[in-house]
Amino acid sequence: MSQLGSKVDPVLLEIVSHALVSAAEEMSITVWRTSRSTTVRELLDYSTAVFDGEGRNIAQAARMPVHLNSMELCLQEIIANHLPLERWREGDVVVTNDPYCGGQHLPDFLAFKPVFVEGRRIAITCVLIHHVDVGGGAAGGYNAHAVEIFQEGLRLPPVKIVREGEMQDDLFATILQNVREPETFRGDFLSQIAALEVGARAMRQLAARYGVETLREVGQALLDHSETAMRAALNALPDGVYQAEDFVDGDGMDAGQKRIAVTLTIAGDSLTVDFKGSSPQARGPINATMATTRSAVYYAVIAASGIEATANSGCYRPITVSAPDGLLVSAQFPAPVSMRMLTGHRIATAVLKAFAEAIPERIPASYYGVTFNHAVNIRHADGRRQVYFDAEIGGWGGHPEADGPSGLSAGFHNGQNTPIEMIEAIFPLRFTHYGFLPGSGGAGKMRGGLGLVREWRFIAEHGLLNASFDAFASQPYGLAGGEPGRGGRLSLIRDGQVTALPAKTIGCVLKAGDIVRMETPGGGGHGDPRERDPAAIAADRADGYVIAGGAD
Amino acid sequence: MQAKRIRIAVDIGGTFTDLECVDEADGTTQSFKSPTTPDDPSLGLMNAIKGAAARFGFALSDVGLLMHGTTIATNAVLTRNLPEGALITTAGFEDVLEIGRHARKEIYRLKPEPPAVLVPRRRRFGVVERIGPVGEVLTALDAASVEAAIDRVAASGASVCAIALLNGFTNPAHEIAIRDRLLARLPDLAVSCSHEVSPEIREFERTSTTVLNALLIPVVRRYIDALLARIAAEGLTAPLYLVQSNGGATTPRAAGEAPVKLLLSGPSGGVLAAEGVARQLGFPNVVGVDMGGTSYDVAVIREGRRAVVAQGDIDGLPVRVPMVDMRTIGAGGGSIASLDASGRLQVGPRSAGARPGPVCYGRGGTEPTVTDVNLILGRLDPVTFLGGEFALDLDGARAALDTRIAGPLGLDRDRAAAGILAVVVAKLAGAIKLSLFERGLDPRDFALMSFGGAGGLHAVEVAEELGMTTVIFPKDPSTFSAHGILQSDIVHDLARTRVLPLKAGAAPAFAALAGELLAEGEALLAADGLPTEQRRLELAADLRYRGQAFELLVPLDEVPLDDAALARLCERFHAAHRQRFSFDDPDETVELVTLRLAAVGLLGGTASAQAPAAGAPAARRERAVHLGGGWTSAPVYEQAGLGAGASVEGPAIVEQAYTTLIIPAGWRLAVRPSGDLVATRETLP
Repeated sequence: MSQLGSKVDPVLLEIVSHALVSAAEEMSITVWRTSRSTTVRELLDYSTAVFDGEGRNIAQAARMPVHLNSMELCLQEIIANHLPLERWREGDVVVTNDPYCGGQHLPDFLAFKPVFVEGRRIAITCVLIHHVDVGGGAAGGYNAHAVEIFQEGLRLPPVKIVREGEMQDDLFATILQNVREPETFRGDFLSQIAALEVGARAMRQLAARYGVETLREVGQALLDHSETAMRAALNALPDGVYQAEDFVDGDGMDAGQKRIAVTLTIAGDSLTVDFKGSSPQARGPINATMATTRSAVYYAVIAASGIEATANSGCYRPITVSAPDGLLVSAQFPAPVSMRMLTGHRIATAVLKAFAEAIPERIPASYYGVTFNHAVNIRHADGRRQVYFDAEIGGWGGHPEADGPSGLSAGFHNGQNTPIEMIEAIFPLRFTHYGFLPGSGGAGKMRGGLGLVREWRFIAEHGLLNASFDAFASQPYGLAGGEPGRGGRLSLIRDGQVTALPAKTIGCVLKAGDIVRMETPGGGGHGDPRERDPAAIAADRADGYVIAGGAD
Repeated sequence: MQAKRIRIAVDIGGTFTDLECVDEADGTTQSFKSPTTPDDPSLGLMNAIKGAAARFGFALSDVGLLMHGTTIATNAVLTRNLPEGALITTAGFEDVLEIGRHARKEIYRLKPEPPAVLVPRRRRFGVVERIGPVGEVLTALDAASVEAAIDRVAASGASVCAIALLNGFTNPAHEIAIRDRLLARLPDLAVSCSHEVSPEIREFERTSTTVLNALLIPVVRRYIDALLARIAAEGLTAPLYLVQSNGGATTPRAAGEAPVKLLLSGPSGGVLAAEGVARQLGFPNVVGVDMGGTSYDVAVIREGRRAVVAQGDIDGLPVRVPMVDMRTIGAGGGSIASLDASGRLQVGPRSAGARPGPVCYGRGGTEPTVTDVNLILGRLDPVTFLGGEFALDLDGARAALDTRIAGPLGLDRDRAAAGILAVVVAKLAGAIKLSLFERGLDPRDFALMSFGGAGGLHAVEVAEELGMTTVIFPKDPSTFSAHGILQSDIVHDLARTRVLPLKAGAAPAFAALAGELLAEGEALLAADGLPTEQRRLELAADLRYRGQAFELLVPLDEVPLDDAALARLCERFHAAHRQRFSFDDPDETVELVTLRLAAVGLLGGTASAQAPAAGAPAARRERAVHLGGGWTSAPVYEQAGLGAGASVEGPAIVEQAYTTLIIPAGWRLAVRPSGDLVATRETLP
């Protein structure tokens, strides 16, 4: 057991730590209670956190790893290069959505509020919300045609939207003028600001109860403890240099897969993750800035290390992430980034694959590789318009000790599906099939989980289908002799004729009666398929998870 | 009436079978406990009834009503002691049950959790048919595919079968036709249809609930049959009612058809009791907390009413039937204190449970628990604990604390022990705070009501932490659920889902839907044998703004249901939305998703009993106890010796048969005429 020379009372540490997480939870509940959009209220696409007075993350409300692990990067970038802390005043709210200032993509707005007690800055609260629209070339900010960030929407550098308690109305009006759904945006944005104050109030109460100095010491100790836990976990891993690569299909513009190359160096209690050798940044919007890349790396390292400590920025201290500028994983201004999730998933799976070299007994084969985001712009016969947005996922990879689950959210994303009956009650879609795709899981001693078939008939007059899919050609990898999972597919069935559509489909015209069929990837297999337990093979056949006569 | 004057409620827990009875002639309530008989719980139930009859002097023929809360369904699910079942779905949607809703619980976990599929894919069969979102038939039911599916059900060896078709809740015709053919060919099969068990939108939740119901039918029927046979054999002729998850009672026949509604039967008794005691004592806003060995259940009673939600879950499985709203965290007497890899102190959620239990039980437990710490700090008496059934091992508890926590942390024993309790109190208070915060409520507007074996040790400190100034300790906390069950009324929850925009002209369709529900509710209460004056029909609507995917429940209490009435309903929805979410949108269309009816059969409840008055309380003895940072000598009272009107000042310890109350300095505990104890804060911080 490691012992720190910390002077903080261990009981007080737990009590205050609990109170800090409660503060983040109260902020989270406030956002849910007071926001307007379905993105926030149903998809829960937001996160909240508390930072110490120097901008180090000390508490989070558990939500999306992709958000949580990137908030501090943004705040530190703001402090270092845009708004030094001495210029933050009581009552200020600083906001930005700029991927080139520590953000990830334009719809995500990060808002920060400094908390002062007797003139001393004791904390900074943060709320990140994915907003419904940010202007630009496509509704929702996903402009698949974009070749530079200017086509993706409004880009806000770190600015004070509230100055010493005064809302900057002219600035706010400017933002609202540039987004498609200003009322919803306004509601969500005000909710964001209200939640910041809920967190600030909780922090002031804590300071009043325990004292500013104690609060500072507790924050420091929490970070130290998480760092200790992470270092202990890294120390337990075998030292060495481990390399791996994974791929994305492409950006929908230029032919050819894009490569993500990772070199993992474990040396004692530290870890270096380098991306030299990865593809150059793409023309289309699949690029990741370093904030996305770091966030994906932190997710993979925390998951692989299996640490039980509280996730906070202390966990990141032993980890160095590097990449030469201008790669797919370190995109430079003005590269477009709206579909950065797609590359982010494969950064995580590449890092996990490198870990599999070091700790093969703990790392599963690749999961489905990308969230299947898709949307239909619908026009009814009476002229009424609707936008249907949805996301689908696939199978997990086989684990050294278990088959991969079928159709379950994975990686640094964690979403819910929408009930078919709810969709049919609202949209002109009638589902014809939703189920597992037999045979899609990679064969192995431990089989990959199955991908899904999602198929519906379009019954309105006119529609435009957009899809930002991937992992059609770049199949989820198998490990230890396991086979890859089957890649994804998208097809249009019109009058019985099946037409294959590309992974990046933009504005495909739908007519009444057309059937759209998507098949998501299964996970990779783990271990030699010939070593699979005969009882498991028999069970797979009885349940129809594999295709009769196929390789198993 | 004179002959049938005794009403009995029985709650069967893991260790004890609790009984409470009321004599309607004079309103006297009595309680009784006897050991649970796990192999056949009906035996323990009968033992309790006979024991109470002997002690309180009534004959079994005096019993007019028998009410029962049971965990039989819950235990069957938790242990997966369920029969093999089959599922019939719309062809192409056989996997909905296994796909679920995608989201995972532990976001950083790489090793898959074992799957929890109730019916494996090999026993899920599709039939060719399709119903649309407003009940229209898109594809007629294909008779050949039905017969083929039934062949496969028969060949599968399943003893139960669930039927859950896509949009089956909007038009039950296909589900009914399939059931008729199924029962015609396989008459011994137990069958559940989704339009009956959970007639609500969301295919996964409805299917899962229907499957769970079908699997529980044989389990619950076997139990009820045994129970009825035993009762009849003993000459008890009183009608039997079972308490459901919504707090309402139902007949054995209805419970046998909808056993899934019994899943929260046990805990809902406690919430019902809390509601009853709160009303009797005149506290409209109460947070009821039940702290046992492994968990802490928090329920909010606001303006005298418990909150009921449309869906809960058990062991990760969604159960979409109305149930009492409760937040549960893993903190109880058995919660284990330990140090994590970085040396930080953790208390719970790991629990020593009943086996091996705390170190001081001497049954092989090695890690210190909350109960061990309470013993070390003098809060529990090693001799009188659990009525003195067995002596506690104080030295063993001390050694475990010293070696595992105090030593490594460099703290002395008392400081380590008090620290563990402080962490527990912070966790309990945090759970209450968030339960209220998410409803927009402030703890300072609430009284805390504590029940369950471990609650009394921490309740006042939890209240202090939250700025609450009143803590209620019911007089019989160890039979509290049974007390609640005695207050129960018959409740049939009915629902119809139909997405209907509430614009002008919507009234006829809305009224027709309500009419169907009301007629069905009346018929069910009539079948229960309840006269009109004991029937109450409560309509409520799940409403939302068009395009939202979650709903708010708004009560509906006027007739006729014309456009004006619907407009007023929409007004109430806007107001409810403002209260809950801080904004409303009066220009947006409000739509109905589900119309609900609670058909209530009033059974009468109990009158408030009076505790005997007493003189000045006398402390039995004094005990050294660690309170507020140091050791002090506190008087120890027995609750039995505290009559109505008595009051004691903290610091003090009050011992009840199965619980101990800790009253710190600055608080005064008073005995109300009902015998319930109320602690109030004398000095404000």
